[in-house]
Amino acid sequence: MAEAEEFRIPIGPQHPALKEPESFSVALKGEKILGVDVRLGYNHRGIEKACEERTYIQDIYLVERICGICSHVHSTCFIQGVEEIAGLQVPKRALYIRSLVGELERVHSHLLWLGVAGHEIGFDTLLMYSWRDRETVMDILTVLTGNRVNYGINTLGGVRRDITPEQAKDALTGIDKLEERTKYYIELATHETTIINRLSGVGVLSKEEATRLGALGPTGRASGITQDVRKDDPYAAYAELDFKVISDNHNDVYGRTIVRMLELLESYKMIRQILNNLPAGPISVRAPRRIPAGEVLSRYEAPRGECVHYIKANGTDKPERVKFRAPTLANVQAVKYMLRDRYLADLPIVIAAIDPCFSCTDRMVEIDDLDSGERQVLDWGTLHRYSIDWYKKQGIDFAKMGARQK
Amino acid sequence: MKLINKIINWARRKSPWILHFNTGACNACDIEIIAALTPLYDLERFGVVLKGTPRHADILVCSGPVTRQVEDRLVRIYEQMAEPKFVVAVGTCSCTGGVFKGCYNVRGGINASIPVSAYIPGCPASPKAIIDGVVKLLKSLEE
Amino acid sequence: MKAEENIQKELENKFNYLIGKVRIQRVRRLWLEIDYDKFRTVFEFSINQLGFSLLCAITGLDDGEKLGLIYHLANPNGTVLNIKTSVPMNNPVVKTVTDLFPAAEVYEREMADLLGAKIEGLEPGFRYPLTDDWPTDQFPLRKSWKMPEEQKGAI
Repeated sequence: MAEAEEFRIPIGPQHPALKEPESFSVALKGEKILGVDVRLGYNHRGIEKACEERTYIQDIYLVERICGICSHVHSTCFIQGVEEIAGLQVPKRALYIRSLVGELERVHSHLLWLGVAGHEIGFDTLLMYSWRDRETVMDILTVLTGNRVNYGINTLGGVRRDITPEQAKDALTGIDKLEERTKYYIELATHETTIINRLSGVGVLSKEEATRLGALGPTGRASGITQDVRKDDPYAAYAELDFKVISDNHNDVYGRTIVRMLELLESYKMIRQILNNLPAGPISVRAPRRIPAGEVLSRYEAPRGECVHYIKANGTDKPERVKFRAPTLANVQAVKYMLRDRYLADLPIVIAAIDPCFSCTDRMVEIDDLDSGERQVLDWGTLHRYSIDWYKKQGIDFAKMGARQK
Repeated sequence: MKLINKIINWARRKSPWILHFNTGACNACDIEIIAALTPLYDLERFGVVLKGTPRHADILVCSGPVTRQVEDRLVRIYEQMAEPKFVVAVGTCSCTGGVFKGCYNVRGGINASIPVSAYIPGCPASPKAIIDGVVKLLKSLEE
Repeated sequence: MKAEENIQKELENKFNYLIGKVRIQRVRRLWLEIDYDKFRTVFEFSINQLGFSLLCAITGLDDGEKLGLIYHLANPNGTVLNIKTSVPMNNPVVKTVTDLFPAAEVYEREMADLLGAKIEGLEPGFRYPLTDDWPTDQFPLRKSWKMPEEQKGAI
């Protein structure tokens, strides 16, 4: 354990006179974090205003690009809200296809997260394995929708592309492969002591705190909150699918890892149900250009948590007001509480564990050392390396882990 | 195949270092850039290495439309790079602003702030397109 | 729609000014509209007595003369109660609810930055989501606000 007096944070390779909008401000005493302040708005583009100036159909494509990992989330959350205002009866087959793409997106997102989490704790092999496996689901999505991300599958009244039996068969084969790989990751996470030690007790958030802060999704479910919009407030085809809501009581980053891995297994179950029971029929209904006046609150269970859209229509072909609340906005508020009384070295994985929807490759962290009175600004890369080295000194070193042959 | 060998040899000799910077993107292109470095696509076989600092980077790989928050930082990073330096705009948003053109907090494509050497369109630009674009850039430097 | 009707009945029994004002849009969706001076009481009743423990979001709207506010509350059974209220646009003072929901801070700051709401009772903090150098009298989400320069090729 390093002495408090010898503690020095290496300054990042940035110009000292730079005045950046820091994303995180940390107050440090010794090695313990006293408080964290989060600054958001890095990716603010002005989308809500732009939506008011474009038609509903144009907005589908804009809304899809709010987040490049959860693009189907926003597209579906938006369009199902508009369909509700317009009173459209979307055909069952379209709802099933929407749910299918939604679950495939969840799979790609959780596998992506697994790689990022592995990278943050210094376990780069996990990044390479999980992202290689992720390519299987990216291939399925490309065949079904035409793109790896930003699928453009939704339209007002249904979906734009249908599935052929051959595509369904190939998708099922891919899912079988992924399930086998996921079981390996679960075994790794539940048996490998290095991982368990590294992630347990880190980023603790109690059930009460999680509720008060509105931190849902895997973050909240790892703290015992058994809420999942797919079960409690079903949309698309979820009312007809059989699946479990995964929750856990670890309250920490380890719990969040387990929840996501088990959710993958539930997603595979749902994908098989959908592909084996796809209702016959049309894939869309005719939709009006002008949407009658009305308002709606649409909810969706994104891989990261609850996504909420409010839409107000005014009888024209453009919305009057749209409000998008992405899940990360709620989850990131919890980070302050999770890092209380923890070490600076925990910051990267705790933030990664809420699966934030902003690029973590270039976030500045300002450190206020209360003992020395110094203030320094680190770039994320430096903090990442510091975190891995710090834990190596505690005896947690992934390079020394026994290699498992797979 | 002779040409591709020439490029690979040049890249291995020069080993261009990349700095990846996200200027307000939705993250889709960032993921594809990182995916380009994973074994399936493997940009590193061209000798390209991802680095964290502008001072040692040869190529600045940008994704995203330029938001007001990030504009100054982007220009500063570009100025910190030593010559010869090149900028690659990955994704439609970096090229022209993409779907975000007209949004009040967005300046436009990367070329509104700094000069761009290569444009890789796509929404997002797939890893194959990214590799293709980077190789084309390296090839043009050879000439 | 038993559950929704029960909620409607409880609200109307407790506050007789809500009679006829609680609208059941569909299963799991309720809307009600009240004056701002009565908002806090109904808000606290919904949270403490009716079990709406989750604040999904706070939406601000430019309603011409009024700044519309919608507080979207959800309960663990998936039901959402949307409480609509408003304050005058020429004096848009909104009292904070961060004492009940710390996470409301981002929604309130967003209303302040983009619509010009004046949040009373909020601790000083970073602006969100606009940059520090964005002029403090320009509110992009107001209907009257237009972008100062035209961007070539914009829709």
